[in-house]
Amino acid sequence: MSEQTAAQREMAELLVEALNLEDITAADIDPGEALFGDGLGLDSIDALEIALAISQKYGVQMQAEDEHTRNAFATLASLSEFVEKNSS
Amino acid sequence: MQTAPLTTRKPDDCLAYVRTPLAALGDRTGGVRVDEFCGQVAALAARLPEARYALNLCDNRYLFMLSFCAAMVRGQSNLLPPNKALATQAALLTRYPGSYVLHDGVDVAPGCRALDIGQLSLRAAAAGSIPSIGLDFPAAITFTSGSTGDAKPHLKPWRTFVVSTGINADHMLVRPQHLVSALATVPGQHMWGMETSILLPLMRRLCISDARPLFPQDVRAALDQLEAPRMLVSTPVHLRALARSGLDFPSVELILCATAPLSKALARQVEVAFGGRLLEVYGCSEVGSMACRHTAEAEVWALFEGLSVDVVDGQYVASAAHLPAPVSLQDRLQTVGRGRFRLLGRGDDMVEIGGKRGSLQALNNLLLSAEGVRDGAVFLPDTERSVDRLVAAVVLDDPAAKKKIAAHFRAHVDPVFVPRPIHVVPSLPREANGKLPRARLLSLLARLQG
Repeated sequence: MSEQTAAQREMAELLVEALNLEDITAADIDPGEALFGDGLGLDSIDALEIALAISQKYGVQMQAEDEHTRNAFATLASLSEFVEKNSS
Repeated sequence: MQTAPLTTRKPDDCLAYVRTPLAALGDRTGGVRVDEFCGQVAALAARLPEARYALNLCDNRYLFMLSFCAAMVRGQSNLLPPNKALATQAALLTRYPGSYVLHDGVDVAPGCRALDIGQLSLRAAAAGSIPSIGLDFPAAITFTSGSTGDAKPHLKPWRTFVVSTGINADHMLVRPQHLVSALATVPGQHMWGMETSILLPLMRRLCISDARPLFPQDVRAALDQLEAPRMLVSTPVHLRALARSGLDFPSVELILCATAPLSKALARQVEVAFGGRLLEVYGCSEVGSMACRHTAEAEVWALFEGLSVDVVDGQYVASAAHLPAPVSLQDRLQTVGRGRFRLLGRGDDMVEIGGKRGSLQALNNLLLSAEGVRDGAVFLPDTERSVDRLVAAVVLDDPAAKKKIAAHFRAHVDPVFVPRPIHVVPSLPREANGKLPRARLLSLLARLQG
């Protein structure tokens, strides 16, 4: 597992908090591992929770019909990068 | 043979608003008239393979509506599974000989007969007439997970759909004479989405969007494209995200919500956010919609005309002239006067997560069938969270087996039923007789979290 950047750690903490991932700590989330499907195993309800937490903390609105958002949900690294780029 | 038309709409009225470029429409987006749709139904019906059943997994709502109707016109019943898991597909194809997968680009079980209409051009001349369907024709077979793990089939003759849609329209729609633009956040395959986003538009003046938006921003974008007056069909999970997003939404005259109980507070927030009326609907996939309430003001449900609920052997049973058979309800009810009732809770075996219902017993059997699991239990803890999640406690033969449990669940059931977290324990707190009461599981969980 590659090391988390400060921004990735902050996003990992948001995920663990928003999704109540009891058996995982923020430091456990591999920045390159898939969040959905076989990786962390998240689903569409989690995606809604994450989007809500991100809009409240960073003021960034996620939009599934936008290709950038879809790609952003791939991994912790891509999610963190997307929010950094889009937050004012 | 008694028949009823596929649609009772006028040929030049707008049936659907398509915002996704679809090969079927030559990538043209915008409104689709009833006669154009019927022309496409005829064109697709002629291209379907010879079969008795179509396992309909089309994801785009317009393509689902089209394929649902084309299958019926061709004399094929639509099989509507609760999820698209490969194991579900394989099981249904085996159970219904002469079936095939009708889809628009999903993962299909390897080696099975399938037709992908996602890339099919179906441009056709507008139909001059509207086809009729026999009232006794099995239009669809829907499935719910039974306690033994086998999906339980529910037969939906065209009569059931025609009559129930008339009843639903009378109770749900505000002004049926007026053309209303509709958007749904739920899929067409599930009974709630089927009744409101497929059948209602075929029988009443609704122009349904092909979109199925997830995030609040997507819902707003899809609503922005629709002309007023608007209607939104959704679930408590989606409405909660919408209400908390803080976004400004275009006005929505009517919001219909079902699949799980909605709180009065959330109902009020939603009515403020959209400037419309929220009607909550109660039903189940075996019966369809049965009752409604204006949740912002009322707690008691009003049963729809034509339906009755009686107590038989201590259980609540719903019946109606248009249903093939009476249905035992999974919920506990309390009647308060004629045609009115309170909902007290779910039956013991049923769990409800993100609007999807599953049998706890079936999920436990699934856990025990996972490789390397010696003993285990799946249960729903008491939480304050907005969405409940199942938790599992397992005794493993091999510590490496834990990683495979989630994948085993995903292959068989909807992802919302994957337990999280999965606790590995040396033994389960079973009583001497082997029973595992919920109270014992809860105290085990409290110790694990302690």
